[in-house]
Amino acid sequence: MKIPVTLKVNGETYDLIIAPYRTLLDVLREEIHLTGSKKGCDAGDCGACTVLLDGKPVNACLVLAATAQDREILTIEGLARNGKLHPLQEAFVKEGAVQCGFCTPGILMSLKALLDSNPAPTLEEIKIAMAGNLCRCTGYSKMFKAVESLDRSRDAGLF
Amino acid sequence: MRFELLQPGSLAEALEMKKDHRERAKILAGGTDLLVLLKDGKLKAQAVMSLGRLSELNFIRSEGERGVAIGALVSHSDVAASRIIQQRCPDLAEACAQVGAAQIQNLGTLGGNLCNASPAADAAPPLLLMDALLTLASARGERRVAIHDFFLGPRRTVLEPDEILQEIFVPQPVGRRGATYLKLGRRKAMEIAIVGVGVAIHLNGSDRIVSECRIAMSSVAPTPLRARRGEAIFANQEIRDELIEEAAEVAAEEASPISDVRATRGYRLDMIRVLCRRAAREALARARNHKAEGWR
Repeated sequence: MKIPVTLKVNGETYDLIIAPYRTLLDVLREEIHLTGSKKGCDAGDCGACTVLLDGKPVNACLVLAATAQDREILTIEGLARNGKLHPLQEAFVKEGAVQCGFCTPGILMSLKALLDSNPAPTLEEIKIAMAGNLCRCTGYSKMFKAVESLDRSRDAGLF
Repeated sequence: MRFELLQPGSLAEALEMKKDHRERAKILAGGTDLLVLLKDGKLKAQAVMSLGRLSELNFIRSEGERGVAIGALVSHSDVAASRIIQQRCPDLAEACAQVGAAQIQNLGTLGGNLCNASPAADAAPPLLLMDALLTLASARGERRVAIHDFFLGPRRTVLEPDEILQEIFVPQPVGRRGATYLKLGRRKAMEIAIVGVGVAIHLNGSDRIVSECRIAMSSVAPTPLRARRGEAIFANQEIRDELIEEAAEVAAEEASPISDVRATRGYRLDMIRVLCRRAAREALARARNHKAEGWR
């Protein structure tokens, strides 16, 4: 039996009628058609589905959509504002920190959460924040460089 | 994965539902274990009861010199970030910071880690070292169970079909104590422990005499467990390297590890000895640095 669920995603409210066992990841992708969050392992191992739930990174594949009711959900589609990329996204473009791109949305969400709580992380802190995200192209170095390249005084208003 | 979803709004409501549904309803806390098992088909559930709305089970409360009470639904990241926990049970904070990675720590709960009853549960060794007490609630009432009596085997606990883990109480140890939890994996994050070892050392006044030593291990037996014979080697002894070596040997004898995809039995036995020695030295160093007033 389907149930009514209201989700707040990227500032928008969505009233849905869904099966109670569907994951947040499946509902984001298949009902709301936000396909930026990727389904890699569907078991909480790869981090490709990382979204922010009330500001904290979680695996959307391990959350039932119904239990995310009324919580603030931020996906990769909500990172850019008014057509302008988030400084993290700009930095990834500039440093060429994207290879196949499949892990990129999840990694950006993990890093966004890191920078929200720690605007000037050390390399070790960046690595810890990204430890739950696998990049099978193994392009981690350029991602670290991208984060370290951010000029926080310039970009302060955009974070 | 198909099931009916129950979402009680309070503990009282959850206990009534559990009384009615019993085994039929599996409890969902963080979901990092349950949903993976359900998706894999390793576990079947007609109903799943989410505890997500029970904010009353999400607390860390200092009870002064008695100890610390932790609600079953506190996330690993909240345990690891808590000043109270960092001060009073630093090894528990360390253990929770080594569960999976940020995404898993934000979802997974302390209570879920225990109720899932994995032999590799990271939170278990520190809580075994502290003689934690678990409050199990049901519509019939509450009972307190020592963590030593909680685990029955892999994925099996003493929880009755109508019970829910409500609170983990960590009694305050007396005197100068140092403790640590070491987890061995192939990498630092996203690992299930190959072997986990926690050691706590209590000093008796001087920096040299150990009044009590406690050793707890995970991933080396059907349940997390204490190495009581290894511990006894230290009792009221002046600490020496030979004692640490001997205790590590005896602790390995108390384990009954299996060979599986992560490691062989022999490797695990070797690593118990290594981790025991390292953890004992670190716990000793921490005990010597321990300032009693920091425990208030």
